[in-house]
Amino acid sequence: MKAGSNLEKILEGGYFAVTAEVGPPKGALATVIKRKGELLKFHCDALNVTDNQTAIVRMSSWSGCVLLKELGIDPVMQMVVRDRNRIAIQSDILGAVALGIRNVLCLSGDHQKFGNHPTAKGVYDIDSIQLIQTFKAMRDERKFLCGEEISGELPLFIGAVENPFADPFEYRVQRLAKKVRAGADFIQTQAVFDVSKFIKWIEMVRDQGLDKQVHILAGIIPIKSVGMARYMRDNVSGISVPDEIVTRMEESKESKEEGVKIALEIIEQLKEIDGIHGIHIMAVAWEDIVPNIVERAGLLPRPIL
Amino acid sequence: MIVTKKRELNRLKENIKKYRKVFLLGCSECATLCGTGGEPELKVMKETLESEGKEVTGIFAAKSGCQVLGTKLELKPFKEAIEKADCIIVMSCGAGTQTVAELYEKPVYPANDSMFLGNMTRFQIFDERCSLCGECILDKTGGICPITRCAKGLLNGPCGGSQGGKCEISPHLPCAWQLIIERLSKIGELNKLEEIMPPKNWDQTPVGKTPDKKRGK
Repeated sequence: MKAGSNLEKILEGGYFAVTAEVGPPKGALATVIKRKGELLKFHCDALNVTDNQTAIVRMSSWSGCVLLKELGIDPVMQMVVRDRNRIAIQSDILGAVALGIRNVLCLSGDHQKFGNHPTAKGVYDIDSIQLIQTFKAMRDERKFLCGEEISGELPLFIGAVENPFADPFEYRVQRLAKKVRAGADFIQTQAVFDVSKFIKWIEMVRDQGLDKQVHILAGIIPIKSVGMARYMRDNVSGISVPDEIVTRMEESKESKEEGVKIALEIIEQLKEIDGIHGIHIMAVAWEDIVPNIVERAGLLPRPIL
Repeated sequence: MIVTKKRELNRLKENIKKYRKVFLLGCSECATLCGTGGEPELKVMKETLESEGKEVTGIFAAKSGCQVLGTKLELKPFKEAIEKADCIIVMSCGAGTQTVAELYEKPVYPANDSMFLGNMTRFQIFDERCSLCGECILDKTGGICPITRCAKGLLNGPCGGSQGGKCEISPHLPCAWQLIIERLSKIGELNKLEEIMPPKNWDQTPVGKTPDKKRGK
């Protein structure tokens, strides 16, 4: 065991994992995180706390993780390289581990241009692959990026993201391979709507044997409304929503239920795919629906360990 | 070249409102190519300021405004015109303006804003391709710089926001990593990207460099 987190035990034990995303509030109310934690506690194995997603300022990921940890939940701290240089990154991970956080997800982060402080200076001192490498060296060699020694252990289960729907499509698997070489232990993908494209991608992943080297959790975003479906199709970079799904949402009288059905159908297909070790549900501003989805997908009880 | 753009005229007018006599200095290099500080622009500026009631004591386009000693020699014949002026307006990049500030104990005002080191892709259309980062990585990226041309400056890209060859921040901006991958594929060198590029030494770049490292041969 590298970190001994619940998520690591489940994935290393060969179980099908269920994780979900918790969006922190635009404020300091701990109750927001606690409420979401209580809601999802028995429906997931671990919970990700996002790090200023879409570059909008929110409560920090590590503090959200600590609040979840207090409820007995295994948190996944997300960390983007947009807002921190290598000094802050390393300092923050030491602090996070000291506070009991054991899982970290490494990301580039949405460009600051999209957020509520578009004139901010993007840091990008190191990139997401170098971030993975930095954490791995800190954990395995007990060394900072500069080569100096770290005192004590740094138990960490290191995650990364991959977007099979971004371009250039053929190169995505090479980039995943790079993340695996850098030290990623698990991967959470961008939301899957186009299952056939995802299958093409996972075939390429299997061809390179990457599914044997890293645990891949496929992303799920439940669609709440027709507007959301259209918005994601037309405006959210990196998300690919096929027209059929938008049409289904348009034609349905109960769009929320239709959105859940779509998510369930996708989960059903993903469960059958060789090389997929779990799902990661990102119910943006709709965490309340997650228990319903997990239950109807036949994925209870949770946490599985 | 150093790409410059003209500052708003009102800003310049505000800068020089208490002065009556001005000397105008342009530059025959980049500012001429940018149309911000060559002979034609100097003449237009002279006419504009004269119509505003200023007296222009002289105009000159230096060979290279960034060359301190060369500019000093070139300006010798204008000694009187410069002495007569209450201030000097420099129509070049920030380097030229600072040459003048070093040479004369007179107020100096920039007529331009300095933008970036650019390639002229069409007549007076510029594209930033190099950030002067101090440690070139173009040998590894097929001659296309991700530090400058990727919105996140990623060294191991592309990020998940690359779609249809475009960057997530703008449908008009090509994804630098898409360009790099296409080019390396064409020249049969895609394997170069297998290496994980290490963190960059930002202390060599204009933003990270301390002033003591900004001098030298």
